[in-house]
Amino acid sequence: MSKPDGTSYQKYLPRIDEESRGYWEALARHELHVQRCRDCGAKRFYPRALCPVCLSAATEWVRASGRGTVYTFTVTYQNQAPGYRDALPYVLAVVDLAEGVRLMTNVVDCAPEAVRIGMPVEVLFEDVTPEVSLPKFRPA
Amino acid sequence: MKDRVAVIGIGCTKFGDRFERSYEELICDAAFEAYDDAGIDPAQIEAAYLGTYLPGSGGGKAAVSLADALRLYDRPITRVENYCATGTDAFRNGCLAIAAGTYDMVLVLGAEKLKDRGGRGIPRLGHPLLARGNTAPGLFALAANRYIHTFGLRRETLAKVAVKNHRNGALNPKAHLRMEVTEEQVLKAPIIAWPFGLFDCCPTTDGAAAAIICRADLAKRFRKAPVLVKGAGLAVTSGRPYFDPTFDYLGFRSTQAAAQQAYAMAGIAPSDIDFAEVHDCFTWTEISNIEDLGFCPKGEGGRLEEEGQTALDGRLPINPSGGLKSFGHPIGASGVRMITECVVQLRGEAGKRQVKDPELGLAHNVGGPGAVSCVVVLGRG
Ligand SMILES: [Zn+2]
Repeated sequence: MSKPDGTSYQKYLPRIDEESRGYWEALARHELHVQRCRDCGAKRFYPRALCPVCLSAATEWVRASGRGTVYTFTVTYQNQAPGYRDALPYVLAVVDLAEGVRLMTNVVDCAPEAVRIGMPVEVLFEDVTPEVSLPKFRPA
Repeated sequence: MKDRVAVIGIGCTKFGDRFERSYEELICDAAFEAYDDAGIDPAQIEAAYLGTYLPGSGGGKAAVSLADALRLYDRPITRVENYCATGTDAFRNGCLAIAAGTYDMVLVLGAEKLKDRGGRGIPRLGHPLLARGNTAPGLFALAANRYIHTFGLRRETLAKVAVKNHRNGALNPKAHLRMEVTEEQVLKAPIIAWPFGLFDCCPTTDGAAAAIICRADLAKRFRKAPVLVKGAGLAVTSGRPYFDPTFDYLGFRSTQAAAQQAYAMAGIAPSDIDFAEVHDCFTWTEISNIEDLGFCPKGEGGRLEEEGQTALDGRLPINPSGGLKSFGHPIGASGVRMITECVVQLRGEAGKRQVKDPELGLAHNVGGPGAVSCVVVLGRG
């Protein structure tokens, strides 16, 4: 599958660092990964070096199912930042994954007015540069 | 700290689009008004605290912006920045320094000039790992929508907060947006981030505010009836609460914790507070704040607003100044500005917006959203 060259993408791009590299590498393969603590087993998002439960640095990446529910959301009608101003209105959402972690994302592939709290959603991947793909969600 | 620190002078600029006034001039306007109000000579200031998010150009991330504006050299000045709690936290730090016995007289000043500089309006809150086009209205809207889902709050109730705060601000010569609005205007305004329309959001504002504080036992030399600091609390939680699966989005635990600290220090209960200046960056935030501050149980803030209990002549006037909604929100200046409103009200000098015979007033900031909160309780001496 061909990917965009990234030169036309105006929204913010990540600085990929050592803590998040595994996350981005998995997304580029169209897999959503979260971290799991090797000591206490707690899963976490966002990626970080230490387990927030037991402070262990022993970490592994595990693939998430990509299924979740909308905990809350808003439809944004005003954002003049480059890239966003051309994408209004868009849905900013907080999604609880089946794995028990929570992420902030966009719900796409449906009318913004159709999004509801508690709605089941599933991940899809938006390729924005050769290195970066973003996890977004659509009604499941 | 209770009753060991007095506010003997206050100053506040006109808030608004202050294109005609520089950052340094705004600082001078607020400081000189406070010097005059206290009847002191600037040479008596032993230490100062500057609350600011964007220091003067060339000032960098230090306190030199205050030193240069006021020619206050060779003495301790500390710059405080703590999200939207910057102003109240600067005040709290000044109070601690006096209560510790280190200084007799301290200047606390909050200043911000946002309108002609970048960084607000076009949001940079966009780290793609964490966020997907989140704006300040959008982040608070995430909480507001979960709250609406849980408690059935209506947009009409949100609008009543805007109507009330604009009505109060219209009585305030220093407020940014000095006009009344109707509930219909609020409801029909363009949507920014659902459920917030334009009039549910505070404006971006320039302004500065100052307070001169001193040892309570010296205060009578300067004023017959100085206002006393009763308590102060500051609580910091995660800067990324949105990703915590246990965060319910129904309020902010930093406010609950900061309020508990301040009430414990003051030896009071929330029901002892006679009026409050709370952080109404959005209409929903005021409703959530008055719950987090303990004025009513969670989920009942909307009812207080509906019943007029928070109006100027209500049981518990909230934001008699007009609040961030009408008075404006120059980040670092806002908290100090709230302190000045508390002092004006406690002195009984608020004119048409005077709350009836208040003994105790409260100032509250929350920033982050939810990451940092600061609460200050002030009382009649
Ligand atoms: Zn662990």
